Amino acid sequence: MKPPPFAYAAPDTLEEAVGLLTEHAEAEPRVLAGGQSLIPLMNFRLAKPGYLVDLRNVAGLSGIRRDGDVLVIGAMTRLAEVERSSEVAVAAPLVTEAVGLVAHAPVRNSGTVGGSLAHADPAAELPAVALALDAELVAAGPGGTRVIPAAEFFTGPYSTALAADEILTEIRLPVWPGGHAFTEFSRVHANFAVVAVAALVELDGDGDGAQVRRAALALAGVAPTPVRATAAERALAGAPADAGTIRAAADAAATGLSPAGDLHASPETRRGLARTYLRRGIELAVARARNER
Amino acid sequence: MAPDTRTISLTVNGQPHVAQVEPRRLLVDFLREDLGLPGTHIGCEHGVCGTCTVLLNGASIRSCITLAVQADGASVDTVEGLAQGGELHPLQDEFSAKQGLQCGYCTPGMLMRAREILAGNPDPSPDQVREAIASNLCRCTGYQFITEAVISAAARMRAAKEGVAP
Amino acid sequence: MTATQPATGHTGSGAPPVRDHSAKRTWVGQSIRRVEDPKFLLGQGGYIADRITPGTLHAAVLRSPFAHARIGRIETAAALAAPGVHAVITGREAAELCDPMPDFGPDPAKHTWRCLAAEKVRYVGEGVAVVVADSRYLAEDALELIEVEYEPLPAVTDPERALAAGSPLVHEALESNCAYERSFDFGDVDGDFAGADVVVRDRLRWHRSGGQPLETVGAIAEYDQGTGSFTIDTNTLSFTSYLFMAAGTLKVPVNKLDIRPVPAGGSFGSKLFANKPAVIAGMCARKTGRRVAYLEDRSDNIANCDHHGSDRVYDVELAMMRDGTMRSLKIDVVDDYGAYIQFGVGHHGNALAQVVGPYTIGSVRYRVRAALTNKNQQGAYRGFGSEVNNWMLEQMVDKAARELGLDPVAVRRMNFIRDFPHFIPTGNVYDSGDYERVLDHALELARYDHWRAEQRRLREEEGRCIGIGVITAQERSVFSATEFWFWFDEPGAPVTSTPESVSLKVDATGGITAILYSCAFWGNSPETMVAQLVAEEFDCSPYDVSIVYHGSRDGLPATGPGGSRTTVMLAGAVEGASAKIKEKARRAAAHLLEIGPDDLEWADGGFRVRGDPERKKTLGEIAIMLHLFKHSFPEDMESGLDASKVFDHPYTTMPSADRKDLGVFYPFVGHACHVPVVEVDLETGAVTFLNYAAVHDCGTLVNPRSLAGHIVGGTAQGIGTALYEEFVYDEDGQLLSSSFMDYLIPTAMEVPELTIGHVETPSPYTPHGIKGGGEGGRMMAPAAINAAVNDALAPLGVRLTELPMTPERILAALRAAGPASDSAG
Repeated sequence: MKPPPFAYAAPDTLEEAVGLLTEHAEAEPRVLAGGQSLIPLMNFRLAKPGYLVDLRNVAGLSGIRRDGDVLVIGAMTRLAEVERSSEVAVAAPLVTEAVGLVAHAPVRNSGTVGGSLAHADPAAELPAVALALDAELVAAGPGGTRVIPAAEFFTGPYSTALAADEILTEIRLPVWPGGHAFTEFSRVHANFAVVAVAALVELDGDGDGAQVRRAALALAGVAPTPVRATAAERALAGAPADAGTIRAAADAAATGLSPAGDLHASPETRRGLARTYLRRGIELAVARARNER
Repeated sequence: MAPDTRTISLTVNGQPHVAQVEPRRLLVDFLREDLGLPGTHIGCEHGVCGTCTVLLNGASIRSCITLAVQADGASVDTVEGLAQGGELHPLQDEFSAKQGLQCGYCTPGMLMRAREILAGNPDPSPDQVREAIASNLCRCTGYQFITEAVISAAARMRAAKEGVAP
Repeated sequence: MTATQPATGHTGSGAPPVRDHSAKRTWVGQSIRRVEDPKFLLGQGGYIADRITPGTLHAAVLRSPFAHARIGRIETAAALAAPGVHAVITGREAAELCDPMPDFGPDPAKHTWRCLAAEKVRYVGEGVAVVVADSRYLAEDALELIEVEYEPLPAVTDPERALAAGSPLVHEALESNCAYERSFDFGDVDGDFAGADVVVRDRLRWHRSGGQPLETVGAIAEYDQGTGSFTIDTNTLSFTSYLFMAAGTLKVPVNKLDIRPVPAGGSFGSKLFANKPAVIAGMCARKTGRRVAYLEDRSDNIANCDHHGSDRVYDVELAMMRDGTMRSLKIDVVDDYGAYIQFGVGHHGNALAQVVGPYTIGSVRYRVRAALTNKNQQGAYRGFGSEVNNWMLEQMVDKAARELGLDPVAVRRMNFIRDFPHFIPTGNVYDSGDYERVLDHALELARYDHWRAEQRRLREEEGRCIGIGVITAQERSVFSATEFWFWFDEPGAPVTSTPESVSLKVDATGGITAILYSCAFWGNSPETMVAQLVAEEFDCSPYDVSIVYHGSRDGLPATGPGGSRTTVMLAGAVEGASAKIKEKARRAAAHLLEIGPDDLEWADGGFRVRGDPERKKTLGEIAIMLHLFKHSFPEDMESGLDASKVFDHPYTTMPSADRKDLGVFYPFVGHACHVPVVEVDLETGAVTFLNYAAVHDCGTLVNPRSLAGHIVGGTAQGIGTALYEEFVYDEDGQLLSSSFMDYLIPTAMEVPELTIGHVETPSPYTPHGIKGGGEGGRMMAPAAINAAVNDALAPLGVRLTELPMTPERILAALRAAGPASDSAG
């Protein structure tokens, strides 16, 4: 399982990197970030890029900073760094929780935020998080920079709105300091998710009378891309934050799904898992929201 | 036509190396064959089993899904660097004392991962060790004696640091 | 059945003399550190992939993407012209260069198995061509340049459909997909069923999983053109006595093939006689005139290892009395062997060795049908088919207990065999045991009463679904050769040898070297076993014993690991060789001390005069004289001090002509009880462990810690088989679980901490009373975990009868059971 041959460059600037993607377009170039998704595919010879542009030496692509109400994470930031970041834990703890579920720690040492998003595995955690938070993904191409809303970024399994010569440079995540839960079902520890749920809630009021002011729910593993459970979000908004409401919202969201089946779970099982994890996720997010107040 | 190669400079177990590698050469093959360090093993070549684990700048990575060129400028530690001056590292010694190895194939990767775990948390609970080593598959031991070995080694390493007998 | 020999007048070794195990032991029974460890800890294990020397070429195999297809033209010119390529060999060429693979199946001429497919591929992943190049990278590049014309054929992947009329045929020459069928009756089955109060029936399905050690199979071969000899280093061995068959495959005389063992990174059966990589490497070495390495990668191995595990459909009936007495068993089993059947139905011999479990069941009908399908073939996986019988029988016992309203523990206890040696209906013997003691110890260690109370409390108070499994089952050890051929009334080769050999050499300083033949290191600690056994004999330190592995060509007869035979057979060989050494040393010492040999006794590492202990000679003092001072001894005494023992199976009897009695073929039978406590998440189908206790009785233990390690590791694999691991083929024969992303091996989080207990009921027939125990953990765990899950789901009217119990299967069963079990509520 050795990778096929490819031409390779590790440019020092983003401009050069973009330029190489454009210049060598006919070789079907790919960007190399951490390689944790790409290199296994190349070892299987399922991916055979003729050209690999390695971003390891490009300055300015990694880092975490707070910019008002937005958390900005550079695309080359290693997942382990995000996991350890107190900045992230405060601004968007959903991200912290989700990143901790991405594979195992050694994979997170090499893997990057941008790599995970650009790889767009339908069962991956970070795309669901990006969707739930209505993140903006910033891409650099030959024509300059553009901002792509998460809702438009994921176009299909392993497929994004990025052009062949565009590079993801950073992700901008609106903060959501409390009321979060990222939960997933995997068959063995840290294996890819069969179904994953990102749940965010904000509450109005305290105690039994608390109501959901707003909610954001995203699922992975149930469709060709991560999906927002918008109907359930609407059902929750303005409703009491109680078990009955949550259960109804979870049921409504799951009923609308048409997941594919595979050797791990049938469509019916995936739907059931979605319902279960939506319910558990929203309950946990609500419980955490309450503790904040 | 000769394949395109790159020059990489890296330190491995404290020794500097400069080498020419094809960009596609996997780090695990570079270590094993080019540097003559066969202690790091190949299990799956798709990044799941962790058999190929080495430390890169102190952090564990899977060398079967890392290109050698990605280690340019880095400091890499493999199992061959664990024992110092003819003496086994406490982790190695405890693996033997507790029979935390049977076939020995996952052992180098497991040792390097254990080293990282203890560097980050010198006094882990058995549950913490078990969760942390879940990154590395072992087909022989069922993980129990590995966990015991890491806990024992941790105690010895703490004691050695404090200069007290464990 | 009572503790007497059956009156059938058979030949064979008969019961060996009963041994006295009262001698105090020094080294046997000590959990010493393993002598093997240092090199592995230092990263100097010397595995096959570590032995690539400069200039070694690498082979890579092109594999079929179709499950069933005729092979048309193969274009290799582009591959041959690719950089660094030295040779390309197609399956048709390979069929000229090599004869078929060694095959212990029922009709090798008709289910012919070759190292590469020649005319037809029969499973996804079967090799069709091999490339030899300067590196594995270049070899794989060249594979992509080979064009193969395939004519796809319909595939058959369900074993029962494979046996039905009109199924696509895997081997046309067989004219059927049924490679073997036979029904055996042992005892009066019809009579026992007629007299039973109740017949419990069930249909059970065990899907294939496999050893999947972290190291794959590999071989490095050299061919010496001058002598026409092959030298092959490989991490697969065993059956050294049968390796002549591999020479036949390579078309060389047997004494021109030397297969040399190297340490293996695990096997669990999957490296047992796995000679295809060796043959491929050899063939390529001869073709290129160069040293060639063929190292399987994981993709090669998962689809094509030739060692998938049992894959069975059972229809079973258990005849019971109302009070819980078990009377008789009718077993009808279809086993999906895949596209070839290299070990015949030996896996069912393993089942027959302990088919009634630990119970006084008086009769058994066993019907086995071996189905061929378009999958990789079965080989060996820890338990070799007996673990499946354990699982089947224990599920039936639990079902019977439930139907009769009896306590499952009480039912087991009341049916336990209590007198030993005990002959079971098939003719095999259980040499010793104390099943009650094991059960009681296990229940105590498991805190069984506490967990029963917890189970009730958690269900009532929190609606949690907890289950406890209690299974009691056998772990046979040390197979006989008769198991290969008692399937046939007129076997072509009724072989009777499964020896193991050890040579001991005492050097001029008294240091001891032990030479092992075919006893490859697989993680099973043969060196530590031998070192402890030799230390026991000679009062030295185990760490002072040097162990050497010998290649096959000029080695003594040996069979190698398998069927948990290693420790017992090595013990017999060490005992035999030691006795010869001591006999010569005694004579030499007597001569040196000028006293009669019978006036000497062995003590403290030497011979001393009885009653005058100061007059003594150490082994070293004797050895140096024997090595260097020939003239100090009688004329008939040769120089040196070394001896070999070819230890044959000590207890084998022949099957009767009518096969109503298979004789004794697996006599050293251990026993275990596993008690897992599980929780089933009714919403997700996930199964987690709350507790797990295991008590094993493998007779006298050489190294208790070592055995405990095997129990935990075997249990971990049993957890995999019970919950996670399956080679999943779709209807077209595509292997869906073709990587570790989908073939799910348990991590440290899936395996609980085990509480392990040991009971030692020595075998009366083996050195020190040792029995084999390496397979035991996996032979118990699937049965125990299934029992626990069923115990958890019983209040919901749900019972799982199919392994692995994946979340999908559990949820589907819950859905089928209807609203009473509806998880979403």
